[in-house]
Amino acid sequence: MSPEISNQSLLFLVVFVLVPLTLSYYYQLGLSKGIMWSSIRGTIQLFAIGYLLTYLFDLPAYIGIPFMLTIMITVASFHARKKGKGLPSVLGIIFIGLIVIEGSVLGLWLLFDMIEFTPNEVIPMSGMVIGNSMIAMGLALERLKSEFKENEGRLTAALSLGAEPKQASQIIIQRTLGASLIPNVDKLKTIGLVQLPGMMTGLILGGVSPIMAIKYQLVISLSIFSAVSLSAIYITLMMYKYFYNNKMQLKHMEFDQ
Amino acid sequence: MEHNELFTFDNVKKSPLHSLNFSIKRGDNVMLFGPSGAGKSTLLHLFNRLSDPDKGSIYYLGKDLQSYSITELRKEVGLVMQAPNLFPGTVLDNLKYGPSLHGEWNSEKAEALLEAVQLPADYLDRSVDQLSGGEQQRVSLARTLANNPSVLLLDEPTSALDQHTTEEIEQVLEGLAIEQGVTLIMVTHHLDQAKRLGSRGIFLSDGEIIEEGNLADLLSNPKTEELQAFMT
Ligand SMILES: Nc1ncnc2c1ncn2[C@@H]1O[C@H](COP(=O)(O)OP(=O)(O)OP(=O)(O)O)[C@@H](O)[C@H]1O
Ligand SMILES: [Mg+2]
Repeated sequence: MSPEISNQSLLFLVVFVLVPLTLSYYYQLGLSKGIMWSSIRGTIQLFAIGYLLTYLFDLPAYIGIPFMLTIMITVASFHARKKGKGLPSVLGIIFIGLIVIEGSVLGLWLLFDMIEFTPNEVIPMSGMVIGNSMIAMGLALERLKSEFKENEGRLTAALSLGAEPKQASQIIIQRTLGASLIPNVDKLKTIGLVQLPGMMTGLILGGVSPIMAIKYQLVISLSIFSAVSLSAIYITLMMYKYFYNNKMQLKHMEFDQ
Repeated sequence: MEHNELFTFDNVKKSPLHSLNFSIKRGDNVMLFGPSGAGKSTLLHLFNRLSDPDKGSIYYLGKDLQSYSITELRKEVGLVMQAPNLFPGTVLDNLKYGPSLHGEWNSEKAEALLEAVQLPADYLDRSVDQLSGGEQQRVSLARTLANNPSVLLLDEPTSALDQHTTEEIEQVLEGLAIEQGVTLIMVTHHLDQAKRLGSRGIFLSDGEIIEEGNLADLLSNPKTEELQAFMT
């Protein structure tokens, strides 16, 4: 194992905060308060999670894992919902989606013996899947709203030609899914070349052999890829209907971003 | 039973339209005109249920509009919107959109449709974003015609066309009305055009019908100051 970072050396991290702080002050960006607050809040959050994880890792798996997954999925649902303001039932739909997606991914991991059902493996790995799914759902929601707004004329034209909402939305659904999936395909293409993924970096620093680290990274990267794709498809297919009323008319919704 | 009344508006309110009472008879070709913001487009969208009245009822062939299948009604009462709103893709993609929804597309129709709107047949494979505004407007008309509507709602269908093309499109519309018995309900800013195509006129201002009736009478003898002002 590599040497531990002592608390004293941790203190010198302040330097990394001072740089943007000075810049903000010098160029009058008005970000000083934000920078201070985020660094303090981030530090406290991470330490809190650290202690919580230490505690959870000592609990029996069948208690610690469901407990932590519930918290993560709940927090993620509330976060993703912000992007779907104005859409009915969106919180519940996100929540259920995250449970099903995380559940399936975890199920496959365990089924194929990729990880063990212990908190120290399941929780960090699931965190990455849930976090990325949350971001994907948020992006898809945002995209869906802007596509509906932008294409109101075309959608009206499609409806007026006798299309049902599902048929009329076809163009938009394609574009929303494309926009959600393309960046992830690109990410997968350059993985390891531009930057070593966070988890791999962590494992290597922690003393795990690079090949071992890569195996874990492959599991997580591909799992995230599929979870993110499913999230975008799921949220798009679940939500597009809410842009119409039951008379196949477009609803006029107010979205404030 | 044949209904003489094609559409009847019974106390219809739909913001910003106040209270509309009128009927349109079979064979009428109705010209809607009035200042910008009068509610002409809003009114047009009520005929094929792109929106519904807040109050009151609309009857089509004697039956409440609400009792028809919405998709069937929209095919039968076709709309050409104020903006072309073409779908991304080729001209052909647009033309076959409506009929394909119900598996009724027949590729032989394509050229006839283009001919009807005075576009050359080799336009079928063109991408719509290579078309001029006037060409887009004509594709939009052809796209609606592809559904063989029996009532045609037109929202300033020639606003982006030059004089020559306008006249040709007017001939196409006249042909549809005379030869195929299609009822035209059309918004136009051009009173000359209204005279050429219409038999009935409805003058709308501020969400209200100010004058309506036989078009020639209406225009030769406007009774209200509003219409007189609009005509000058
Ligand atoms: N989606 C909408 N939401 C709220 N108000 C609308 C909407 N569409 C139109 N309006 C308003 O309703 C009024 C009538 O609009 P409409 O488009 O029917 O006018 P119009 O007679 O077709 O005008 P124009 O000749 O400029 O096309 C306008 O004051 C407009 O601002
Ligand atoms: Mg209008």
